[in-house]
Amino acid sequence: SPRFIALCPTTLSSSSSSGAVDEEEQRLRSDLRERFLRTLLLMTDKQVEFNMHEKVRVRARFGASDIDVLNFQVSGLETPLGVQKEALLRCQDVISCSFEL
Amino acid sequence: GSWRSSLPPSERPGERRTAEMKKLYGKDAAKIQGMETAMQLTFDRNCDKKQPKYWPVIPLNL
Amino acid sequence: MLQWRDRSPQQWQEFVNQEVCVTAHDQQSFEGRVFTVDPVSASVVLVSFPETKLRPSVRVILGHAVTDVQILASGTPDSESRMKSLFLPDTAQVLGA
Repeated sequence: SPRFIALCPTTLSSSSSSGAVDEEEQRLRSDLRERFLRTLLLMTDKQVEFNMHEKVRVRARFGASDIDVLNFQVSGLETPLGVQKEALLRCQDVISCSFEL
Repeated sequence: GSWRSSLPPSERPGERRTAEMKKLYGKDAAKIQGMETAMQLTFDRNCDKKQPKYWPVIPLNL
Repeated sequence: MLQWRDRSPQQWQEFVNQEVCVTAHDQQSFEGRVFTVDPVSASVVLVSFPETKLRPSVRVILGHAVTDVQILASGTPDSESRMKSLFLPDTAQVLGA
């Protein structure tokens, strides 16, 4: 799939040469990915501030992300024009988001 | 909306996905795939139930 | 240097637990300690312990918006376990934290 090819160029090209390098890369990738997935889980149901393109800042309760990090599903989105009860934010529109523990 | 722009794991050919996960994540593939599947299910379920609309309607970053 | 998004897990791993400044779209910058870099989206997760606030804050900078990451100071095993305990409650119990 395209996602796999985008993710895995180094492993693909070196797959025959060195199994140990692959294993090390897989271990690092797993650890980094698991930490990220745990971050998203921690963000669930938190009030999150989204800092978006065009200097747009909005707040909402975080619901979930798709696994490819393309869309964030949120509730109670406080837009400049009022509250949108349920919304999807395009991750391409988002520069950063933050929350307190 | 067109939030299904990327196919969730359940709609991909299962065997290919599992092989790809193995290649990317090695012996931790099953764990990562499990976490991803759970997260994607939550996302899909929330979208089915709440019917969220994209905000803003027009992308900010084209 | 490679674009941030095109780097390898090894290259991202080198930033974990370091105190960094992430420069993003529009010259915005964010400081904090790196908890992880998502290998799928290249997004950076920063943790900071602001002096003015009681609770630590977490910031995710989406990979597509990251233009540069500079290391400001190195982390220690202690900062790593402190940070980990915020995200992985199981680990905290094992460590007795």
